[in-house]
Amino acid sequence: MIPAVAGGREYPEPVVGWLSGRRWRFVAVLVLLAAFYSVSWQLARVDPGKLMTGLPKMASWAAKAWPPATDELSVLLQRTAETVAMAAIGTTVAALLALPLCVLAARNITPSLALYYPARWFLNALRGIDSFVFALLFVAAVGLGPFAGVLGIALHTWGSTAKLWAEAIENIPPGPIEAAAATGASRLKVVAFALLPDVGPSMVSVGLFWWEFNVRASTVLGVVGAGGIGQELKNSMDLLLFPRLLTIIAIILVTVTVIDHTSEWLRRRLE
Amino acid sequence: MTDLGMKGVIVHARGLTKRYPPDVAALIDVSFDVHRGEMVAVLGPSGAGKTTLFRCLTRLTRPDAGTVSVAGREVSSAEGRALRTARHDMALIFQQFNLIRRLTALQNVLVGRLPQVPTWRVLTRCFARADRQLALRCLDAVGLLDKADARADQLSGGQQQRVAIARALAQDAKVILADEPVASLDPESAAGVLGCLRAVASAGVAVIASLHQVHLAVAYADRILALRAGRLVEDAPVAGVDARAIEQIYERDGVGATESRA
Repeated sequence: MIPAVAGGREYPEPVVGWLSGRRWRFVAVLVLLAAFYSVSWQLARVDPGKLMTGLPKMASWAAKAWPPATDELSVLLQRTAETVAMAAIGTTVAALLALPLCVLAARNITPSLALYYPARWFLNALRGIDSFVFALLFVAAVGLGPFAGVLGIALHTWGSTAKLWAEAIENIPPGPIEAAAATGASRLKVVAFALLPDVGPSMVSVGLFWWEFNVRASTVLGVVGAGGIGQELKNSMDLLLFPRLLTIIAIILVTVTVIDHTSEWLRRRLE
Repeated sequence: MTDLGMKGVIVHARGLTKRYPPDVAALIDVSFDVHRGEMVAVLGPSGAGKTTLFRCLTRLTRPDAGTVSVAGREVSSAEGRALRTARHDMALIFQQFNLIRRLTALQNVLVGRLPQVPTWRVLTRCFARADRQLALRCLDAVGLLDKADARADQLSGGQQQRVAIARALAQDAKVILADEPVASLDPESAAGVLGCLRAVASAGVAVIASLHQVHLAVAYADRILALRAGRLVEDAPVAGVDARAIEQIYERDGVGATESRA
């Protein structure tokens, strides 16, 4: 029961003026957002008219694409396997490289701040450059083919994985680590025995996420000549081979879906 | 090694002083000895300097003045490898237990063996039979042999703290430093944990435990050290202590800035 108040008096309420600072700020933010989107609209050259004329063109391609081409199925499947392999090797190499670096880049266990900051900058640089851009550079350096894609994926994922791992490490409770360190054990032993069991599952989860992400990302790496199914996609588009294009898109969809579900299932098992 | 000249002295603290800027005196000229097989309770209100005292004993904090030696090893000025070696002789018990949640009780006890175990065995979590047997013996000593395979986060608070004591035993420490070991436990679990520490002390380890309840100190400890505003105001065997006199150190009488320190 709400206690009765003597005299049933009214309580004074906080007064919010019509044009208080808070309201002004709200209006100002709305104006800024409107300006931002109108400039973006101009810069992106958004033109719904073009889409209206383009859509029938796409519809006619779709009509021409049926039935999907099956004569080159074995080649396309091999290319898809190439894509999955690129993602797997790239992600694994990235994870191995990320392992020592995430220790340096985690504030709570870094041996020294003199290593922490350079490690963070380095990882941010790797993360800031997309695997697509890296692959472009490596195609020029090591030549066309999946290996350039592997290198591109590995470098970008190295930065991303190490950063997420470092954040996972920073979020664990410090007590158990302190307790293990207090026995006089070396840093390596403390990290391996007290830290790893705690962050291990979330680290594996992050690794699986990046593998899954990289399978999707590497389907386009072929466009820059870095091998895999993306290369076939680009060729078919250039030659306007729509039935072949449809087959490729279907294969990509099935592969990505299967891998997404497998990875999600594995990650849930880790919880 | 001169400190060991005095018989059975494990912890030898002289003139410990620690100030925090700008003008908080957390410890002022604190001196005491703790002997082998002795259980000492440290009492004092919040801000009296108990935690700073523990941090100085383990050299997590470096005292401004004074010295600490543990089992004849100078701790207060040690660095790096010397400090790690000195820490082998002391084991810490925390208010929040600090077990590794996803490991079993047995594996948590094995943490106490980490300094001696070869690195490859730690990396593969494949401990030698002798170490496993020793850890099981330690679990038996705290009455938790049947929980060896239970994950730490499935144990009750009192059980977790007893695993922490077993970890200290596995470390083969000369002294156990317990900062508020029962502050987050119910009375029954607290009695279990303190009984455990009492037994460990009787077996020849020095135990220093900070407590909040005078009656627990009187029931389990051999000696009481009372801190107030950073000064050691009482250092006497439990038998000769007037519980009411000790209660008085908890009375608020405006001791100043130190009172506000947690």
